[in-house]
Amino acid sequence: MATQRYTTSSGIPLSSHYGPGDVPEGHWPKVKAPPGKSPYTRGAYPEMYRSRPWRIFQLSGYGNPEDERERIRFLLEHGETGFLMEHDRMTADHLYDVDHPEVVARREDVGLTGAVILSVDDFETVLDGIDIAATYAHAGGAVVQHAPFANACYWTVARRRGIDLRRLAGTGQSDFNLTYLGCINKVQVPPRDGLRFNLDLIEHCTLNVPRWVPVSIAAYNAADTGLNAFEELGALMANAAEYLDGIKQRSRLAVADVAHGVGGVNLRTSMDFFEDIAKLRAARSMWDRLLRERYGVTDERACRLRIHVVTAGSAMTYTQPLNNIARGTLMGLAAVLGGAQSLGVSGYDEAITIPSEHAHQMSVRIQQILAHEANLTAVADPLGGSWLVESLTAQIEERAWEFFEMIQGEGGYIATLESGWLHQRAAAGAALAMDQVEKGDRVLVGVNAYQDDVSPFEVEGFEGTTDAWDRAMARLATLRRERHSSAAAEALRALEEACRSDVNIMGPMLDAVKARVTIGEIGEVYRTVFGNWDVPIVF
Amino acid sequence: MSDEPARILMAKTSLDGHWRGITIVERALREAHFEVITLGMATPDEIVRAAVDEQVDIVGLNLGGRSAVVERIVAQLRSQGCDAAVMVGGVITPKTKKALESAGIAVFPPGSSLEDIVATARRLCEQEI
Repeated sequence: MATQRYTTSSGIPLSSHYGPGDVPEGHWPKVKAPPGKSPYTRGAYPEMYRSRPWRIFQLSGYGNPEDERERIRFLLEHGETGFLMEHDRMTADHLYDVDHPEVVARREDVGLTGAVILSVDDFETVLDGIDIAATYAHAGGAVVQHAPFANACYWTVARRRGIDLRRLAGTGQSDFNLTYLGCINKVQVPPRDGLRFNLDLIEHCTLNVPRWVPVSIAAYNAADTGLNAFEELGALMANAAEYLDGIKQRSRLAVADVAHGVGGVNLRTSMDFFEDIAKLRAARSMWDRLLRERYGVTDERACRLRIHVVTAGSAMTYTQPLNNIARGTLMGLAAVLGGAQSLGVSGYDEAITIPSEHAHQMSVRIQQILAHEANLTAVADPLGGSWLVESLTAQIEERAWEFFEMIQGEGGYIATLESGWLHQRAAAGAALAMDQVEKGDRVLVGVNAYQDDVSPFEVEGFEGTTDAWDRAMARLATLRRERHSSAAAEALRALEEACRSDVNIMGPMLDAVKARVTIGEIGEVYRTVFGNWDVPIVF
Repeated sequence: MSDEPARILMAKTSLDGHWRGITIVERALREAHFEVITLGMATPDEIVRAAVDEQVDIVGLNLGGRSAVVERIVAQLRSQGCDAAVMVGGVITPKTKKALESAGIAVFPPGSSLEDIVATARRLCEQEI
């Protein structure tokens, strides 16, 4: 047997103990700056959880719009403090109506990964009885080509309720890592056109929906695709630089005006406790430096990175699923100690199915136990000054900037998606992680070790509903029959024209949503104008 | 048995873009000297046509969660006289796993070892001869 090497999951060597000499000289000023002060290594806000509890924010939704509404209400009743709308991946991510041949061919799977939401009418159904003026939401649109439509639908519902959009808070995510790195669709607009969508969203929100996070970079998705901790952060900053450079080039708005909107991001905690904590701390100081050095922005609101953490879905095991409650707790704890503003804990049934009601309740309860029982929230950055954590924070930041420079050397973040360079890095990371498990170098309890199971609890797996496709077909037929068809056609023509010009698409998109266009009709416009991305890798 | 490498068709039955599992399995199969034909996201018709045209020994499917699409693919394969073995992986409930296994399909949920997957693929190829 080889001698054991002690490293973090991203390969940073670990000593048996740490002392002051392990923290680089240049890092000490960051330790000495209090939470809430530049470079924010120690926290985004001075008092952290005393004044701003983290948001309990769980992915949720499946089946019909009514099923999604009931699950969201259930979570809010159990103490969730924001909500996320999951959309069916087939229809939403691909912008297909339910009668598209690609969907019909797999109709039984429709609604399994989120609700089928075809138009603004379905948004009305999901949001019925939910106080969206008072609750932060993720409206869907995690995938870039879905975001303009999803956001426009949500805002339209808000406006119909008389809510001032200048006060409406939430996000649509619109994440490049999900769209072009981790979860690549069969048909989707190319990355450069996706960038244009995101810049349109950033401009539109800055001017009209200023509390909305127009794009939320989910480095989580890069990490769960295989990038390690410092690659995750390097890619995050390179991704942000594409957006901010783009805004600068358009020269309609200043970087300082949009930076706050871009600075709400999503990171992953996995099962490397101290590295995860250090990563969150490093992310904040990197953001502060990116804004100051690359863009000359010093405004506090702009330089303060807010982090939503989702615990790694890939860390949850199929076997002995109740063990995942312990894993969710540990990963959630790392998020809290790292100073997250918002947290989603993966369900204990993550590897089996979408969460059952009980698994969802457990995710919320884990967060409540962390928030209320363990006296974790009185002191900001409780691990600040730990020689180990400071050493890791400094090393991750240093390596992440190196990775950032490598990406710039490859032509920038989007160029690395177009060439497949970033995909190769992620694939190598995923393969390495798998090899470590296969060889037993990394112990996974219940998977490659301690496989005996005497649990009397059977986790059967939540099945969702089986009528989502049929009912969506019926809704689609009614919608097409009832709506003003020439108004819908005219709105789609105007949207197509906007897509072909450099007009911001959000105005025509809002008009199209009001005219009750369907998700598939939006998709047809995009497919006509932008074509499909020629993916640089073979699956 | 011929010296030709065994041929395995790999496809995703759903339009859900989680690729990490299937790409890792494809890599392991290539390293084990299988000839791997990748189809990406494909409809049942496309999968069946490719399996027949390419005369594969095994059809490997990453499923979207429910068994119905897989059952449809298997029925179509058999009705077209294709006797390729079928292997399935992905996020799948224990109930669905049991149903597919009782239909003679090898099922590999998350956490399955690559060694097991490769060994099963080898065994299924030998059985076919």
